[in-house]
Amino acid sequence: MHQSGPGAAPPLVAERLAKTFDDGDVEVPVIADLSFTLNAGEIVSIVGPSGCGKTTLLNVVCGLTPASSGSVLWHGAAPQGMPGRVGYMLQKDMLLPWRTALSNVTLGMEIKGKVGMEERDKARVLLDRLGLHGFTDRYPATFSGGMRQRVALARTLVNDPEVLLFDEPFAALDFQTKLLLEADTVRLVREEGRSLLCITHDIEEAVSISDRVIVLTKRPTRAKAVYEIDLGDQHADMMEARQSPRFNDHVRAIWRDLEVSGT
Amino acid sequence: MVAGCQLALLAIFLGGWEYITSLDRQTAFLFGSPSAIFGFLKTMATDGSLARDTYVTALETLLGFLLGNLIGTLVGLSLWYSAFVSRVVQPFVVALGSIPIIALAPMVIIWFGTGLASKVAMSTLSVVVVALVTSYKGAMSVDPDQINLFRTLGARKSQIFRKLVVPSSLNDIFAGLKLTVGFALIGAIIGEFMSSSEGLGHAIFKAGSLYVIPKVFAALTATIALALVLTYLVGWLERLLKPWQPER
Repeated sequence: MHQSGPGAAPPLVAERLAKTFDDGDVEVPVIADLSFTLNAGEIVSIVGPSGCGKTTLLNVVCGLTPASSGSVLWHGAAPQGMPGRVGYMLQKDMLLPWRTALSNVTLGMEIKGKVGMEERDKARVLLDRLGLHGFTDRYPATFSGGMRQRVALARTLVNDPEVLLFDEPFAALDFQTKLLLEADTVRLVREEGRSLLCITHDIEEAVSISDRVIVLTKRPTRAKAVYEIDLGDQHADMMEARQSPRFNDHVRAIWRDLEVSGT
Repeated sequence: MVAGCQLALLAIFLGGWEYITSLDRQTAFLFGSPSAIFGFLKTMATDGSLARDTYVTALETLLGFLLGNLIGTLVGLSLWYSAFVSRVVQPFVVALGSIPIIALAPMVIIWFGTGLASKVAMSTLSVVVVALVTSYKGAMSVDPDQINLFRTLGARKSQIFRKLVVPSSLNDIFAGLKLTVGFALIGAIIGEFMSSSEGLGHAIFKAGSLYVIPKVFAALTATIALALVLTYLVGWLERLLKPWQPER
């Protein structure tokens, strides 16, 4: 389904990215020099001190903001405009209040011009799998934060994205809801062989879901450290992952990195 | 509870008015009285002038309301398309908005005559700038993250406009509609004051110049009733067009 054979270029490579904003006559460097690779089927998290330009990074990666220098390669090529088959999810669920859960999910397909029975069924199946059976035809105004973010997740996954870009989508949720949603996300991402780049300030979230965690410095941002995470085969259950002995080692190490760069 | 208090307040006001004006003839002449007003309303209803005047003013108001909001909203929303154009036209919009509509009335009569058209024009002019500003504000307050979401889904600008900007401006557009009901009515009444042969404004003006104060109040009562009905209709339309709003 995906180009993941040997020799195929990884879905996403960032090479020596830099981003500077023009604030009147002052140049504000946000990203100094950042390179990373997201391989097929991988979950990579990026953590950094607050205000280190994580959101800018995501916008540059998905083509909403042009980079000042360096390049973003999707399957080895720089795309014209938006890269295809990329799903994007933010802390704000950004559901449209005038659309039902179902038609929020089919929004992407509608924009591409086709919403028939098949597309609606696909959306319905996905909402069912995310535990929203019976809520498909309701308006989001009555939903809880967790339900809203589940609809947003369905809206992201229904377009079959090869790569998912997350900007702290679980940050506003209560602890239990967050863990359940993380587990659902990881399951749905791994089952379909998708790749996920997750930007977060939640170290425990990063360690529990990822194959690799990249720690950033404060502005202007560089990569400070990279951790390969191996928690054994407990990656599917968020609570078990958190109880693995290596979990705490990773969290402590990343915490120390952030503390130093925070001062 | 609220309705009870409102009724009590109204009863006290009307009762006090009736009592004070019953004390001597001069006060009754100057301020009318609820019973005299009611009497005039009854005569106007039976001779058909109440229905006729209300119909004329309602028609002028409704046409001006629709035309002004249509033009204002279309222009206001489409300014979203170009930040450049909207910055160019901004001072002109402010300038137009600051013109007292009554100052335009003599010219409007010259341009559109003394019939229906001039009242509709006055009404439209009273509405259009407010509608433009509120709908433009609505279009510009769309969440930029939401626009980014549409862009990542591959939406063209026209799709963002239709599927995001227009529906999310509905709140502001309806706020504008509620506000402009009154403006449309004022525009129509001013038009009738300047030159007319029928309408509630005409009735108020004529009764006023003849010092028949209770009749002025009678026509005013019909005007208020008209405003209330139109405002209610807008609220009903809003509930119809925005079914996703949770019931309160």
